Amino acid sequence: MSNLDTVRVKTLPRQLAWRLFKHEAKRGELSIILFAIILSVAAVLSLSLFSERLQGALTDRSAEFIAADRQLSARHPLDPLWIAQAKTFSLATAEQTSTRSMAFANDELALVDLRAVSDTYPLKGSIKLAPELFATGVATTQIPQTGEAWLDSRLFQLLGVTIGDAIELGDASFTVTQILSEIPDGGFSVFNADPMVLINQQDIAATNVTGPGSRVNYKAYFTGDENDLEAFFDALSPQLDRQIHRWLSVQDDTSPIGESVARAEQFFLLASLLAIVLAAVAIGVAAQRYAQRHFDPVAIMKTLGASTSTIRKVYLYQISFIALLGIILGTIVGFLLQQIVVSALAGTVEVSLQVWYWRPLLIAIFTGSVCALLFCLYPLLGLFSIPPLRVLRRDISATFSSRGGQYITAGGAILLMMWVYSQNLKISLILFVSGLILVGLLLASTFGLIALGRVLGKGRMGAWQLAWARIKRRSLDNSVQLISFALTIMLLLVVLVMRNDIVQQWRDQLPQGTANYFLANVTEEQRPKLVEHFAKNGIDTDGLYPVSRGRFVKVNDELIRTDITKEDEDTTNETRRGLGREANLTWDTQLQSGNEIIAGQWHDQWTPQNSTLPEGVYPVSIEERVGERMRIGMGDELTFNIGSEIVTVQITSVRTVNWQTMQPNFFFVLHPAAMSQFRANYITSFYLPPERKPELTRLMAPFASVTMFDVDARINQVRSIIDQVSAAIEFILVLVLVAGSLVLVAQVQASMDERQRELAILRTLGAKGMMIRLSVIYEFLIIGLVAGFMAALANEVSLYLLQTNVFQMQSSLHLEYWVIAPITGAVVVGLLGAASCWRLLSMNTQVLLRKML
Amino acid sequence: MIKTKDLIKTVSTSEGELQILQPVNFSVEAGESIAIIGASGSGKSTLLGLLAGLDTATSGEIWLDDAPLHDLDEEARAQLRGEKVGFIFQSFMLVPSLTALENIMLPAEIIGLDNPKARALAVLKQVGVEHRAGHYPNQLSGGEQQRVAIARAFITSPKILFADEPTGNLDAQNSHNVETLLFDLNKQSHTTLILVTHDPELAQKCDRQLAMTAGELVEVISNNASDGNSAQQDQEASA
Repeated sequence: MSNLDTVRVKTLPRQLAWRLFKHEAKRGELSIILFAIILSVAAVLSLSLFSERLQGALTDRSAEFIAADRQLSARHPLDPLWIAQAKTFSLATAEQTSTRSMAFANDELALVDLRAVSDTYPLKGSIKLAPELFATGVATTQIPQTGEAWLDSRLFQLLGVTIGDAIELGDASFTVTQILSEIPDGGFSVFNADPMVLINQQDIAATNVTGPGSRVNYKAYFTGDENDLEAFFDALSPQLDRQIHRWLSVQDDTSPIGESVARAEQFFLLASLLAIVLAAVAIGVAAQRYAQRHFDPVAIMKTLGASTSTIRKVYLYQISFIALLGIILGTIVGFLLQQIVVSALAGTVEVSLQVWYWRPLLIAIFTGSVCALLFCLYPLLGLFSIPPLRVLRRDISATFSSRGGQYITAGGAILLMMWVYSQNLKISLILFVSGLILVGLLLASTFGLIALGRVLGKGRMGAWQLAWARIKRRSLDNSVQLISFALTIMLLLVVLVMRNDIVQQWRDQLPQGTANYFLANVTEEQRPKLVEHFAKNGIDTDGLYPVSRGRFVKVNDELIRTDITKEDEDTTNETRRGLGREANLTWDTQLQSGNEIIAGQWHDQWTPQNSTLPEGVYPVSIEERVGERMRIGMGDELTFNIGSEIVTVQITSVRTVNWQTMQPNFFFVLHPAAMSQFRANYITSFYLPPERKPELTRLMAPFASVTMFDVDARINQVRSIIDQVSAAIEFILVLVLVAGSLVLVAQVQASMDERQRELAILRTLGAKGMMIRLSVIYEFLIIGLVAGFMAALANEVSLYLLQTNVFQMQSSLHLEYWVIAPITGAVVVGLLGAASCWRLLSMNTQVLLRKML
Repeated sequence: MIKTKDLIKTVSTSEGELQILQPVNFSVEAGESIAIIGASGSGKSTLLGLLAGLDTATSGEIWLDDAPLHDLDEEARAQLRGEKVGFIFQSFMLVPSLTALENIMLPAEIIGLDNPKARALAVLKQVGVEHRAGHYPNQLSGGEQQRVAIARAFITSPKILFADEPTGNLDAQNSHNVETLLFDLNKQSHTTLILVTHDPELAQKCDRQLAMTAGELVEVISNNASDGNSAQQDQEASA
């Protein structure tokens, strides 16, 4: 062979691959495999791009609650060098100093929550000012000038001041210039009831309120690029003392919003993983079909003298061309799809304005390539092994065939992709293992079905018998098809049910009529009047709970030092972490709604007479998590100092509390007998419809000393985020549904080649079109029914694992899907099968026979 | 050109070993045309597969243009096929996603001949379907597909041509045309032709006929060229 010839032979694989690719693409023969790759890339790209943008927006929203991306807080002044250091990491910074102090004006005094902030505060979110007392706040970009103080509405009432008046804070005097509505990290606690005063950071020194003995909290805020933030924290970390400094990031937000966002992120992750699996299944199915269609061309080329390496190259080039085109088209489609959805949801769902992120693209390309490579590998190895003798003996198929190997590679690839993508082995394994259980169940049921078919399919050959005969004959092929149908249906069910459960649980947290106002400091005398007054005005109060502050004296025999100095404070918490020195106590014999006893017995039956406790010791019920934090549990004795009296209680029950309900909740609930000698203050909550808001002042007029908190704005904020996330989840559900349906179409299409041959024969033999159609419909109906049933079963298993292990949700049975899934499966698969066959049956027999050859 | 020695092919079945070919010994001279005839399942296609190097024998030797086919591995056999052998099949075996012209170019490209397109156009013209150059196989009639297949077989000017039931899928008229074309081209290019058929008329157009019965190959001596079936005298194929 001449050198020129050698060159020609070397370039042949690429030329030939290109030629085959060009023609096959033009003739639509690559459509299924190409479509599967486009689908996988587009689904993964649009999902992850959308979720990245949504997460960007949601993280920004959550960041508003800590007024920055990261927050560092301590009881000691923070080293100014750290702030300087943060700037070298290109981070924006802000500072806040807060303490409790007395404010004086007009001979009145009040304990206030004093906040002094730097010019750049807040880095995220905004300070809101009210145009008049208790009115809805409007965002401002300003902070108080030096010498100015912005006051909470309540403080105007308590001190009797108006705008322009002077108030004294410590040693300094300030002019009241604005009504402060809220600050981003103002926090909310019924127990920390002091109204807020906002001043400029530069003024704090002049007040002299941060001297020795005062409880001051110093905060530094940081925002910037995520990598810069991480790098800064890594650099700062060695200098921090974990007992003194607290580093807070958006992800640490344990508020209902923080948890909703975290759960939504998990859901996006889950949906994306499922989209990957669906796409992988589609590619696997399409690759198998592609390989089978090339058995003859490979045999011909080998017969004509092509070497195995030439053939290998031809097809590897071919697959690369397909993968490349699929990835390019998939990227375009995915981007457009996501853009369309963003504009369709504009107004409902807020997404980051940044439209492009590289990570989703890399993931999509990785997915497309790995899917194309690993799912095509086995079909291609089979293709390469086609012996040339096939040109003479058409029944000869691939000599390389290892279904086991194929399943292991495909399964391994899916697990690998899930793991790489989610970086969460648990969620990946849960989905993977439930998939495996499903496959096992399906194999068993397929053989059961075949046995059943022997009974059901008896009798004279009609459409029904023909359908069973086909199912029986292709038991293995059918089991593979059944498994892929069932997997697809299961994945759709998982996404659908998870979406319903998540959205439902979110909505349940804040049902219509959720209390939007809290009242504190209601005295014993005011209590009956208040209940009556509210009832007269048609407002239900959510029960009045007595509250008293108790100081810990002892836990069992271990003395808790109460005269600790500032420096010791956190060391005390180190051993009994969680509450500091004091706790808010309530007492009742009725278990509050949303509370559940998980250990011991609720003390409603307890009386001093039937008591098994030592004399003078009363029962107390503690909240589960506080028990864990303080390392106290059933049988432990707690001693409190309330006022000047000592009360000793023993833990007789442990409760879980639903903290996401907007009602007062307590760590410690004592038996009322323990508190009989104390005067109580009461707290309560109630719901007032927005349109009745103007009545508030009149409503509260008779109870001037009662403190009221308006949490309406906060609830609306939570609701709007929940609505946004729900709408986003709905989009993802639709996208996964579309992906799933396309996989089903690909599967039905893939089985059409063989059906074509059979249809041609049946037609030639004179079978009526209606009979063939019915037989195909029956066949798909049966397969869809069984696949749907199996999917419902596997769905329960994966949902149980997902909800209990990943989403930390209450899991429940979804019996309705045991009916819906088989019926929908039968209808959808039956229709798809019928639609695909319709095209074949509309061809005349001659064409069908010609296609067969 | 072709020589076999004690060629045996056995396959394993569920009921034990099955010998498809009894020891086969025969030789073919360059330029000869040979018809292998026999009933379905007699082993003709198996023999063709072995002679063309598409399959390997259980034992025995095959010499193809002085090359020991029985000693060559799959790759070497493929190279030998590409350079010296052409094929025509009953079911045409064109690559469905390549045009007629590209199908014809394929063998020339595989072995690296220069100007494959010009060669393909020339041979396409010879078989009379140049107007169908850009058509895909499924757009061609059976007769046209087989003409394209013949063109593909001749483009590399093979020394040996194997044809497996070349008219088996064609109607009478097309069969006749294809036969004429095949033998004409064969004559022009002095190719050795091995033709498997169960069509006696087609077989008679060959220089020699070998009959395959239950794996045994015997030479058929025809007394009367016009009445091949009437008087047959079996004789052990040349040893």
